Amino acid sequence: MRMYNSKERLLAAAKQQPVDRPPCICPGGMMNMMFQEIMEQSNCSWPQAHLDAKKMAGLAFALNQAGGFENYGVPFCMTVEAEAMGAEVNMGNLLCEPHVVESPLESSARIDLIKPLDINSGRAKVVIDAIKILKAKNTEVPIIGNLTGPVSTAGILVDMSVLMKEFRKKPPQAERLMEYMVDNLIAFGRAQIEAGADAICISEPSGTGEILGPQRFRDYTLRYVNAIMDELDVPVKIVHICGSLNSVYHILPEFHCNVFSFDSLVSIADIKEALPDQAIMGNINTHALGTASASKITQLAWSCRRKGIDIIAPACGLPTTTPLANIQAMVEAAQVMV
Amino acid sequence: MKNQEELLVALSDCVLNMEDETVGEVAQEYIDNGYPALDGIVNGLVVGMQGAAELYEQEEYFIPELLICSDAMYNGLEVLRPHLDKCESQKKKKIVIGVVEGDTHDIGKNLVRIMLEAAGYEMYDLGRDVVLQRFIDKTKEIDADIIAMSTLMSTTMPAMGKVIEMLEAEGIRDRVKVIIGGAPISLAFAQKIGADGYSASAVEAVKLVDRLLATETSKFEA
Repeated sequence: MRMYNSKERLLAAAKQQPVDRPPCICPGGMMNMMFQEIMEQSNCSWPQAHLDAKKMAGLAFALNQAGGFENYGVPFCMTVEAEAMGAEVNMGNLLCEPHVVESPLESSARIDLIKPLDINSGRAKVVIDAIKILKAKNTEVPIIGNLTGPVSTAGILVDMSVLMKEFRKKPPQAERLMEYMVDNLIAFGRAQIEAGADAICISEPSGTGEILGPQRFRDYTLRYVNAIMDELDVPVKIVHICGSLNSVYHILPEFHCNVFSFDSLVSIADIKEALPDQAIMGNINTHALGTASASKITQLAWSCRRKGIDIIAPACGLPTTTPLANIQAMVEAAQVMV
Repeated sequence: MKNQEELLVALSDCVLNMEDETVGEVAQEYIDNGYPALDGIVNGLVVGMQGAAELYEQEEYFIPELLICSDAMYNGLEVLRPHLDKCESQKKKKIVIGVVEGDTHDIGKNLVRIMLEAAGYEMYDLGRDVVLQRFIDKTKEIDADIIAMSTLMSTTMPAMGKVIEMLEAEGIRDRVKVIIGGAPISLAFAQKIGADGYSASAVEAVKLVDRLLATETSKFEA
């Protein structure tokens, strides 16, 4: 079999075509790929790298160069979309990722208080510009753009507990908010693709089957993630759902994506059975990546390969204390040809 | 006129069936009929919340349902509580709860608060993204029995260990039990930072607190 470059390999693996070996990636966004060691090495540190396109691109580039993941991924948090629509964000620090200070809407009824996401200003523009910088490097490394899922973004703008109750008690009102999320996320996704993203990953840390139950997972998460994916023209579409999938395995094949990414507590055998027609990505425990030895990480990566994972990736966002050596060990385990 | 038994069932059903808008009227009718508030809480509202927790464990209910059930419980409590005898409301054990600084994910913390409240503990909810010193200050202010901390993010886990160090520095570590939870937390992590307990779920958290305080006098039944 011929050798693939990183981008060709990811595109082929995403389509479940034969590849020389699985790619090892981490999308970014909610699935944080950054940590202190690489920030210090590259001199592109948080929180500046969330705000400055050169530093954002520089950090993404540096991690790949250092023998890290076989992709570039931006941004490094899940607050860009909510901030652009009016939420106040604390940018965190070197070790702590940005987070929303206060949900600006009391209820999903107050769509009038939301600003439309403007791709030409603020951190949305920083993300677009960072993708352009990475694209201009003209490497063979795939660029992954990220969108915080529609339920999770709505659950930042309206307190998630309030939103969940309204999903149940006031569906038409909640649906209007969700449609607003979809329109804005499509605009941001399209802009990332236009800037050069080869893949888009939508992550739903809040819109999960475990939290919502199967009915609301179908009525909200599935429906609106698909509404976004259907409008994005990009070869690799990744969906990540956090948490246990026990109550929603039967719904997963309906996602309009070619790659499905999942939590470390989900068994690869179960997910392969549920999703025969999609590439599966995951699911190395991020606590282990943060704290275990490199040799333990090598074992975990091999365990994923033996169980038939198509794309090796962390199961969630990395802790910022993760040692570079552990990420290198994970990538090296993926690089062995068998 | 409904008898007490019928009204207790009605209170319980309001909570279990998510009737957060009608529970207040039922609670008022219960009080107007002269029945004791404590009974209404323990054998009415709390029974309904326990039923909701069971349905949650059986995956009949999910978090949205549990939240609306708890709204119903709180709406009922608002009516019944002012009618409690003073001595009844002063015996409860006190718990300070919050999501540590840097993290705003509070659904899990809210569920734990609701379950502990339903179990009869007096809850002091500091909210989310809580500056660590506030755990210490509140604990001293109210002489809390338990500090419960949560986080969903691995980046904010170390804050929990810091709170324990701060308690030690203040010389009050032995006066309060510390319990922790959240998706990235494990029993091993809890032991490593010297916490007194870890719970994987809101329902388990009640059992954990009961065990740590090892006394039934804390309950409403007192």
